[in-house]
Amino acid sequence: MNAELKLFALGTAGVTLVLAALLVIVYGAETGPVLQALAARTPLLLSGSPDFSRFEGGFAANIVISIWAMAIAAVAGTALGVGMISQSSLVRTPSFLLMNVLRNSPWLVVLYAMLYLLPFEIALFGTVFSFSPMIKAVIGLALPVTANVAEVFRGGVEAVPTGQWESARSLGYRRLQILHRVVVPQAIQFMTPNLMTTYAMLFIGTSLVVVTGADDVLSVARTVIASDGAQYATAIYLYVLFLFFIFCFPIAILTRWLEQRVRVRQ
Amino acid sequence: MTLDFSWLLDPLYQTWLLRGIGTTILLSLLGMVLMFAIGIAGAACLHLKLRFLQSPVTIFVELFRNTPPLVQLFFLYFMLSEIGLTLTDPVTGGRIPLFTGFTCVVLSLGLYNGAIAVEIIRSGLLAVPAQTVEGARSLGYSRLQTFRYVELPIGLRMSIPPMTSNIVSLIKTSSQAVLVAVADIMYGATQIMLETFRNLEVMLLIWVIYLVIASLAVLVVRRIAALFRIPGYGS
Repeated sequence: MNAELKLFALGTAGVTLVLAALLVIVYGAETGPVLQALAARTPLLLSGSPDFSRFEGGFAANIVISIWAMAIAAVAGTALGVGMISQSSLVRTPSFLLMNVLRNSPWLVVLYAMLYLLPFEIALFGTVFSFSPMIKAVIGLALPVTANVAEVFRGGVEAVPTGQWESARSLGYRRLQILHRVVVPQAIQFMTPNLMTTYAMLFIGTSLVVVTGADDVLSVARTVIASDGAQYATAIYLYVLFLFFIFCFPIAILTRWLEQRVRVRQ
Repeated sequence: MTLDFSWLLDPLYQTWLLRGIGTTILLSLLGMVLMFAIGIAGAACLHLKLRFLQSPVTIFVELFRNTPPLVQLFFLYFMLSEIGLTLTDPVTGGRIPLFTGFTCVVLSLGLYNGAIAVEIIRSGLLAVPAQTVEGARSLGYSRLQTFRYVELPIGLRMSIPPMTSNIVSLIKTSSQAVLVAVADIMYGATQIMLETFRNLEVMLLIWVIYLVIASLAVLVVRRIAALFRIPGYGS
């Protein structure tokens, strides 16, 4: 953990210093008042409410959206990944095609498409479910991430020696049973670092949900800039950069550490 | 639900779309040039263990890799106009901003994907066999010459597979240009949507166009990879 800890300290301190230096360069003598304005707007940017009374908007919304999207993508991606390693080409080919289409589509376009593709509300068994911008954002982000999860799943399964498959088959297991009981439990350690990278990518991608009208940190930032004046724009975007960095960087470091451990064990 | 694509026959919309495709491709190409420049320079600093550059490069890579390119784009767009860098137009004598939306998009694409490219190229350099490097050294090449003539050419080839997904990511990310009003293909699409209200159809078409561009890019990279293949490495 030592090298990673060093990198963590260097990265956190260095990036904070760089962002602070940029703030001072841009604002010069006005840095003090700008910092005060930022501090006053912090609750709004973090939680979407002026006094931390609820956590439905701002940076909290980004975290909620990313967790839901990852949960959906994990389930759908595993299913797609199982399809991609199927023995029947009738299942395998469409799965591969779907994975490639989803992986090569820009997230922004998928989000826009979901905005128009999904209805405002849907009546199911007498109850009306309404698709809020938040739900559309979650579905729009989950789609491309599904492809990434499927690739990670396939890579993890392929990293398990084929001997494991053969011996499990000779013990009388069926294909899905082998996957579930023998291969995936061993593949999980190869998959974990890649899944974490996927999550970090997804979290970075949540900045795009601004186009669906969800109440995310960038939407709040734009509202604040519109109300407080364009002179604060640079400071607020610097602050948002800092927020994303502080959330994603520890994940990146942890990923690297786990990768090292997996490599050593092999 | 019926899909209506009759608006595609309108020559005006066709020009918008084609021009948009041109801008998107230009953005992506310029972004790629910057990405490679940053990637190679950064990887060289880390690989050659340049004492005073190592920490700044690491900080740069971690900053740009762990933050959203969209926020980087907005930040660049607003900061550069805040600083107010302008050029004097030699023709009209008027002052034009040095950093237009287009420049900011190229910069943000180059910075974000360049930061990722640094790591990719560096791991490519690490994959160069140590014996090859030793051989070059024993032939009398200096450290820099070894890097320039032996390690970099082999390392870049080693890094082609992960670089392909980075290039696709760059092309996909270029769709953000529309959010700072650069007339790329998404911009053309929003214009058409405003006039025809065929939102879903336009978005589906744009989706397909991006898929085609990204797939073409993958094909081109595959050709390049085949051309520069090192016999005996890979399949």
